[in-house]
Amino acid sequence: MRRIVDTRGRMRTDFLASLAVLAIVAFLPAVMTSDYWRGVIVVSMYFALLAISWNLLAGYTGQFSLAPATFAMIGGYTTGLLAYHFGATAVLGIPAAIVVGGVIGLLLAAIVMRLRGPYLALTTLSFAEIIRVVIANSIDFTRGDLGLNVPSLFERRLTSYYVMLAVVAGIQAGVYWLLRGPGGLYLRAIRDDEVAAAGRGVDTVRWKTYAFALSAAIGGLAGALYAHFAQFVSPELGLVSQAGLVISMVVIGGLGSLGGPIVGAVLVYVTSELLREVGGYQLIVFAILVILFARFFRDGLWGLLRSGYERRFVTSDVRTVTAE
Amino acid sequence: MTAVSYLAVEQLTVAFGGVRALDGVNLAVASGELVGLVGPNGSGKTTLVNVLSGYLRPDAGEARLEGRRIDGLDPTTLAHLGVLRTFQLTRVFPRMSVLENLLVAGCALGLTPGAAEPRALQLLEEISLLRLQNTDAGRLSGGQAKLLEFAACFMMSPRITLLDEPFAAIHPTMKEVMARFIRRRHAAGQTFLLISHDMPVVIELCPRTICLNAGGVIADGETRQVFSNPHVIEAYLGEAAA
Amino acid sequence: MLILDLLINGLIIGVFYALMAMGLSLIFGILKIVNFAHGEFYMVGAYAYTLAAVMLKVPPWLALPLAFFAGAIVGLVVERLLIRPLYAGYTSWGLKRDEYAVIVTFALSILLINLVDKFVGPYGIRGPPLVGNARVHVGPAIVSGHRLVASLVAIALVAGTMLLVRYSHWGRQIQAVAQNRLGASLAGTDPARVSGIVFALAGGLAAVAGALLANVFNPTPDVGLFPATKAYVIIVLGGMGSIAGAVVASLLLGVLESFGSVYISYEYRDTFGLIILMIVLLIRPQGLLGEHSREV
Repeated sequence: MRRIVDTRGRMRTDFLASLAVLAIVAFLPAVMTSDYWRGVIVVSMYFALLAISWNLLAGYTGQFSLAPATFAMIGGYTTGLLAYHFGATAVLGIPAAIVVGGVIGLLLAAIVMRLRGPYLALTTLSFAEIIRVVIANSIDFTRGDLGLNVPSLFERRLTSYYVMLAVVAGIQAGVYWLLRGPGGLYLRAIRDDEVAAAGRGVDTVRWKTYAFALSAAIGGLAGALYAHFAQFVSPELGLVSQAGLVISMVVIGGLGSLGGPIVGAVLVYVTSELLREVGGYQLIVFAILVILFARFFRDGLWGLLRSGYERRFVTSDVRTVTAE
Repeated sequence: MTAVSYLAVEQLTVAFGGVRALDGVNLAVASGELVGLVGPNGSGKTTLVNVLSGYLRPDAGEARLEGRRIDGLDPTTLAHLGVLRTFQLTRVFPRMSVLENLLVAGCALGLTPGAAEPRALQLLEEISLLRLQNTDAGRLSGGQAKLLEFAACFMMSPRITLLDEPFAAIHPTMKEVMARFIRRRHAAGQTFLLISHDMPVVIELCPRTICLNAGGVIADGETRQVFSNPHVIEAYLGEAAA
Repeated sequence: MLILDLLINGLIIGVFYALMAMGLSLIFGILKIVNFAHGEFYMVGAYAYTLAAVMLKVPPWLALPLAFFAGAIVGLVVERLLIRPLYAGYTSWGLKRDEYAVIVTFALSILLINLVDKFVGPYGIRGPPLVGNARVHVGPAIVSGHRLVASLVAIALVAGTMLLVRYSHWGRQIQAVAQNRLGASLAGTDPARVSGIVFALAGGLAAVAGALLANVFNPTPDVGLFPATKAYVIIVLGGMGSIAGAVVASLLLGVLESFGSVYISYEYRDTFGLIILMIVLLIRPQGLLGEHSREV
């Protein structure tokens, strides 16, 4: 049962394993009958989408943006405003959110194209803050901090549950499809060494733009879905602390892995809800976990699981590199 | 010179503040030549390669490849035009496997993944890294990484390959592998510009050598003659030795 | 005269910004990372000052240096525990240095904010002023006594720090490590110790800013986020790593916000800096003091 591992095979295993995790989530309602907890899972699916989007941008392309929550907020407001001002339904609102998110993602890409590291982080932070402040202050248009009421999409919570799950599975499949093709090679090359990637002929500008736009579009989709589920959207959706939450989910789950974002999102959010009942220490715990993981377990939970799996089931042809 | 040179560099000048890293450099390389580029530290060799590969924009002068201007173009465009290079401080993609490092190079220049993989495996075989194809490149030893970086230039046939100190600090066995590789490709018609401090290797591989000093060309011709040129000796060892 | 009033107020705000920005600039200078938890040094100072003065009945003049030390200690601990690994040869595999720094300092920020929120409480207590609430005339402008004294303290600290970095023994070591870490270590300077000093200094300066402004911005767990955002804008505009640039940019931002809040828009006054930041980075991606070449 021992096989040699190559990257494509590893990616496929990761993808299938992540689908298995989603399958488990699909079966949960059979044992988890509380509407409240089903709602918790729905929200964790929202975070899973954001986590996937941020992981694509930061984990696979190396662009550490601090604005993932901003695109969720943009998506939520797109569908919310369309409903509020024009009475549009989600059928228009959700695709619009995806498009608007993607377009603004393109804008962000243009702004940060030549920036790296701390400059990139700071600029995306400014970008996030500006947009949030603008939304919060445009009271006539957006009702500011009061937030918008958004019409619900589905009557039954269970429908929302499975729709969100299906969306996550679909996006995950799409991202997997992208990453196992040449696009995945280019993004990872950009992450590893942008200078060398350019020298090899990788069109770094184009692919960074794709990464930003795709990540933003997924964020917009997530925000719109969440808005219709929670039936409410406010500027709080785009707070930097929300971005921090998404980032922690990815880091704990496993930055740069296929399964990390989903596992991280579900575990962190569910745990935070569990801890909420005990008494609000969740953010402290997560912050500590993030620091520990960044310091000691760079591949996150997924990485830990994976090395356990590989130690048992896989031949290593790669462990020892003979000296020259 | 009646025909248009393959690579032509005319009055190329690059200044950093008050320092002229390249000061009106003129040179020409014919198709299929294997030319050594030597000179003491700071003479402008890497700067020249940086300009030719698009990482630096010259302040004056031009560079042409088969008649077409290439100075000022960006590295990606130049890679697509067939100008490939290696770096003094080896650059590979550490978190991608050895095989993927080659696949990237191939696909980025137009190969389909299906066509790139056999090509890559063949190259790996040639440089004896086939066994390590699934190892992350970050785990390779210094010499193996250099070999990988070097081989990645040949996923497609480059028009010209610029090698920046490919033999620096590597094991003689690796050196031999690389030298054989270069000789084979050169025999098949590939053009090379090779920066190296390793005089024996330059003498052995390169029929012709250009020597730079303080941003200018001080010798250009048959390799042994260049190395016995008193100006070249003076540049390397100081006036007393000349 | 309104203009002079706005100018002076802007400069005063700018001086406080400078306390934050200088520390951040120093940190970037020697470690090439941005400390996303910088606002929390400010918060620590605000709380230390307020709690000491209000609960321990320490006179404000004594509470101020106390705040400085609180910030310095937190800075030192942070550097020791979290930042050391950055230059212990850790960066070549897995997370890169920048990424690690962003994630870790970001998480630290959330950690500190929530620790304080949990264990001290989310409600603000007003910090006592350094002097009574007398109003003082500075030329034609009118400034509250506390504000004036606080500004003077801030100016003294800014000037003192600049002199320290430029002329003192420690300052020279800092400059050396900032320019060339390896070279400095070969010349006998311990970069790790210098990093500790810098973090302590940065923490202390930010803490003093928090203390001086505790009267205006009541200490709450997230009181530091606001000045921190300003500081980030400032160090990019002023050149990351340049102290003088940070000071100049701080003053400029203070004045800009002061005039902008009256002549352009009061609501969006906080976004001016951010917008300028983005415009600057669009036109000149290397910041205001960078160089024109693609890195190799």
